[in-house]
Amino acid sequence: MTDEPTSRPLPVPDAVSAPFWQAAACHELTMAQCGNCSTFSYPPDPVCLACGSFEPGWQFVPVSGKGRILSWTVVRQALIPGVADLLPYVTVDVELDEQPGLRMVARLLDGMDVPLALDDRVEACFEDLAPGVAVPAFRLADE
Amino acid sequence: MSAFPARDKVAIAGYSQSPIVRRSQTSLGSMTIATVREAIADAGLELSDVDGFITTPLFPSLGTHAAEDGTAFVTTHWLSRRLGLTPRYQQDPQGQLPGAVAMAVNAIHAGAAETIVVYRALHNPGGSYHQNSTPQAAGREQWGMAMGHFGPIAAIAMAWNEYAQRYGASPDALAPIAIEARKNGARNAWSHWKGKPLDPEAYLAAPFINDPIRMYDCDIPVDGVAAFVLTSAERARDLPHRPVQVTAYSEMLPLRLRAPSHWPYDDMMELGEIMVERLCRAGGVSLEEIDYPQVYDGFAPLSLFWMELLGIAPRGEAHRMIADGGIDSDREEAVPVLASGGSLGNGRMHGTPQMIECYLQLARRAGEQQRDVSLALACQGVPQMGGAVLYSA
Repeated sequence: MTDEPTSRPLPVPDAVSAPFWQAAACHELTMAQCGNCSTFSYPPDPVCLACGSFEPGWQFVPVSGKGRILSWTVVRQALIPGVADLLPYVTVDVELDEQPGLRMVARLLDGMDVPLALDDRVEACFEDLAPGVAVPAFRLADE
Repeated sequence: MSAFPARDKVAIAGYSQSPIVRRSQTSLGSMTIATVREAIADAGLELSDVDGFITTPLFPSLGTHAAEDGTAFVTTHWLSRRLGLTPRYQQDPQGQLPGAVAMAVNAIHAGAAETIVVYRALHNPGGSYHQNSTPQAAGREQWGMAMGHFGPIAAIAMAWNEYAQRYGASPDALAPIAIEARKNGARNAWSHWKGKPLDPEAYLAAPFINDPIRMYDCDIPVDGVAAFVLTSAERARDLPHRPVQVTAYSEMLPLRLRAPSHWPYDDMMELGEIMVERLCRAGGVSLEEIDYPQVYDGFAPLSLFWMELLGIAPRGEAHRMIADGGIDSDREEAVPVLASGGSLGNGRMHGTPQMIECYLQLARRAGEQQRDVSLALACQGVPQMGGAVLYSA
């Protein structure tokens, strides 16, 4: 999945999210952790919804990237640029091991032919979209 | 909490639904003017009797379209100016139809306006409805689009598959929803699908859009306008049609923090339960007393979710109930939750068919489809983002 030219929409880091995308570029998954109560939030927000802090001081800390599948779908329409050649592809709704309810949706890179089931284990991997820009995705894992 | 003070104080006095077409020859604004005038006439009133307008001007496309007032949506300001009116009450709330009805009830009960037209105008911009050409995933979309996940159909497909996997619904489980909606919509003179019911073979032959969501599980984008005239129940009694009172309403709740287009099934049910509980409390009714529930169906799975929120089927069981003919409007013992044809059977009208159905039944204007019902519920939207309005007569 590397080095292929692509025109997919590239993430635009902002003042809060910049560390997330810096880590992603190095193929490291991080999650925003509240400086007040240590709860993870995805996505980060001006407020920590766990403790109510409106100055959460998010720290992007490395996480295992491991989790379980809660749902999935197959994308068959190119509604956004740069995905036409990828169709059809699978996206998964994953709950990360770090915290109940910490869910993110991203592509599953195992192709169309693998059978999927609830609670299947996955681990994070990355798609390189452009020089210095990578986005998280998932692969099936053994455990 | 004490009783809802505006319970049954405000009524629908008339309505109009434009023909729903794939692509109108006239502008959406022109359609809106015509439909609003018809609704006012239907209520036995003059334009000068109206002193308020409310709409939800939402143009629910994530696509890259030039969206202009009077063309893609129609605000109350656009409309009032072109009707030559300066109404004392105008509101264009975000959100959905139940919120607009709620606002009308509150305004009339408070005396901010006497007679309000609530309307909903929806536009098909042509091309791919949600196609987005942005080269950048900025703002919230850095957490969604950047990872290849985008749009409401993908969001619903994810929630539906979560349900289907958890409760053992088959890949074809939604077929009875689309088929029932199209059967009923085919009977409406104003429907895009007039005279065009859907047979199971055609349903199954249509392509997947986002597995396990097929094409006919999604409503079709259209140009269409519906308008309703609301006034005090007291005043409505002097008008030609039997008044239909707004008994209670309940609206969207604060959403859980999620990435864009991530609407997990459990979020819908958690917040939907609170909304339904509030509705019952405001109306002073139990769910069992609602004898004409009309669920939303902009995407087919939403009908099942609403059915379970309303206790029509136990949690995880609605897919079995529909498979057994449980919502077939032509069966005596069924619960005809899509009697209007909804959005799947008429076109993307965001809940106006359900509201019309409740109104016509309770006003005793349903003609051959007339039923003996007393408490009707019009649901709209993804449960945690929409709402429901309870009507009685």
